[in-house]
Amino acid sequence: MNQRTVVYFLMTIPAWMLFFIFHTYPSLQGIYYSFTDWKGYGDWNFVGLKNYIHVFQDDRALNAYFFTFKFAIISTILVNVISLMIALGLNSKIQFKSTLRAVYFMPNILSILIVGYIFNFIFAHFIPDLAETWGITAFSKNILGDSDFAWIGIVIVAVWQAVAFNTILYLAGLVTIPGDLYEAGEIDGAGPWQKFWSITFPMIAPFFTINMVLAMKNFLMVFDHIMALTGGGPGQATESISLLIYRGGFEGGEFAYQSANAVIYFIVILVISVVQIRLLQRREVEL
Amino acid sequence: MRKWLAVFLSLSLGVLVLAGCGSNAGKNDDGKVQLELFSNKSENVETYKEMIREFEKQNPDIKIKLTSPPEAETVIKARLTKNDLPDLMAIGGNATYGELARAGVLKDFSEEAVLDGIQPAYTKMIGQLAGDEVEGVYGIPYATNANTVIYNKEKFEKLGVDIPKTWDEFVEILEKADAAGETPIYFTLKDSWTAMIPWNSLAANTAGEDFAEKKNEDKTSFKKAYGPVADKMLQLLEYGHNDNFGVGYGDGNNAFAKGKSVMYLQGNWAIPEIKKANPDLQLGVFALPVTNDPEKNKLVSGVDVLLAMKADIQHPEEAMKWIEFMLDHENAQGYIDEQAAFSALEDVFQEEPTMEGIKVHFETGRITSFPDHYYPPGMQADNLIQDFLIKKDKEAFLNKMDQEWNKVINR
Repeated sequence: MNQRTVVYFLMTIPAWMLFFIFHTYPSLQGIYYSFTDWKGYGDWNFVGLKNYIHVFQDDRALNAYFFTFKFAIISTILVNVISLMIALGLNSKIQFKSTLRAVYFMPNILSILIVGYIFNFIFAHFIPDLAETWGITAFSKNILGDSDFAWIGIVIVAVWQAVAFNTILYLAGLVTIPGDLYEAGEIDGAGPWQKFWSITFPMIAPFFTINMVLAMKNFLMVFDHIMALTGGGPGQATESISLLIYRGGFEGGEFAYQSANAVIYFIVILVISVVQIRLLQRREVEL
Repeated sequence: MRKWLAVFLSLSLGVLVLAGCGSNAGKNDDGKVQLELFSNKSENVETYKEMIREFEKQNPDIKIKLTSPPEAETVIKARLTKNDLPDLMAIGGNATYGELARAGVLKDFSEEAVLDGIQPAYTKMIGQLAGDEVEGVYGIPYATNANTVIYNKEKFEKLGVDIPKTWDEFVEILEKADAAGETPIYFTLKDSWTAMIPWNSLAANTAGEDFAEKKNEDKTSFKKAYGPVADKMLQLLEYGHNDNFGVGYGDGNNAFAKGKSVMYLQGNWAIPEIKKANPDLQLGVFALPVTNDPEKNKLVSGVDVLLAMKADIQHPEEAMKWIEFMLDHENAQGYIDEQAAFSALEDVFQEEPTMEGIKVHFETGRITSFPDHYYPPGMQADNLIQDFLIKKDKEAFLNKMDQEWNKVINR
């Protein structure tokens, strides 16, 4: 074994060990406990697939799945549309470009909990007070307190924050497009719209793929936005799956049952991400 | 040779990382006995610190280390899993205590003299938390709380009303306040747990104290026992403001402090917060009169702090000394005065004039416990109740409560 290999080992083995100890091992443990009735302490027995069967019969869990998917799909689409538009704007020849880029990136730096509390104030006081002075009764209540509309409030905050990061990724994609492509397009007489559809969008297709997959995965795992804004309420209207697992597992003492839920959820996210990558990458190749 | 060095280095790094998690208990370097006191409240840290200073002065060979982490209930459950319980615990009388008692890791005090001066109602209460299958007393009730109606004295005077003794009198006041253009009750139902304040008073006084026991034996159900509770919850809701579900606890404290409503359904723990927002506010408290028989209306009160000790503790005598120090009449009085709490000790009373309205309940023992402490925590009753108050469908709600209870118990 030569010097180089030793150095490589020296670098990778600690990382591999830390990853195993703090990531792989707990996951395997979680899978193991999902087949038991462990409460987090004390005695336990193997119960086979009982926990899994119960998850599928639990309408609270099904509700959480439904809410999470609705939220994730809508937010993913909104984030990608908005951040692509902002990136295109920031990439054009405008004044104060770098200042604007910094401003747009701000939300990503702030902690979600802080953002949540600020928006809580906006929803609870700022908007209702404003609506009252203008006499718009439809907005005079806190939408986070309405079980039909609370999810919209969460979408607004989540999208507002996620747009910052996806804009940066799109900007990185836009600078990779060589300028002569546009010149050639101009010679052929293409308008701005045609330039976007025929040059820009296909050229940043790999960035589109990664943004869609990342956004979807992040939104499916939504936790802190909900914790800060509604706590899963009103009722259980905005309870996401991660929140349900945390609540039931740690506060409700149903460790093993929620482990089963987590395993199912892990498989669901994995399948969705793989399918998404496959579909979107096929599109990249075709174009 | 080099290869082995690399493997050895990386292994020892991992071991070092893991070793950082260990902890040590027992004797200090200077020969003092060190005890760890774990507390789940953030409000009383300063009070404990002062008590510890005094105790250490009296017992120079004992050192007490206070641990009061955020999310304390989760922390103590995690430490139970790691078999690393603190020597002494000052925790709430809730489901977590029940779990610890059932896990058999706490010291049994049933033969000890320290229980003598404690009100039996509270000892019984924590006994119920542990359940029937557990014998013994695993905690000493220390400080207690009260689930109350807080009212604005000035507004009561203006309306010309007095503390109500029956449900009908209470509704009458609500009507009067409403007619006078005031908001009768300030609800803060954006935080679902605040729905539990009226719920617990109503349930404790109408559904029967042994509901949970009977429910588990399938002898009763929410459908059978909780109909009146649900009706009265909806009735109360009619006297709220225009955005009952959009305002949270913190905003509610401020609104009530600023005189936005006549009454506020909260426990004694909200009083320091309200006074912070408006020190001049004249407020009083009373127990929600749930029935029309004043003799039967009980105050819902629970154990806010109980003292517990690890079963396999290394220095039991020293730990006992601390417990006796806390239970000392003067120290117990000092604690409740500073914390605006009530005492579980028979001869220690909260003399603060604000508390006048519920003093009689404590003195005559007309106290009952929080019904929701006996619900399975996995069912998350407060969210279900919040949902019911929005949708107002009583039948569906009571069925749902039964269904969720059975589901959680059976899995």
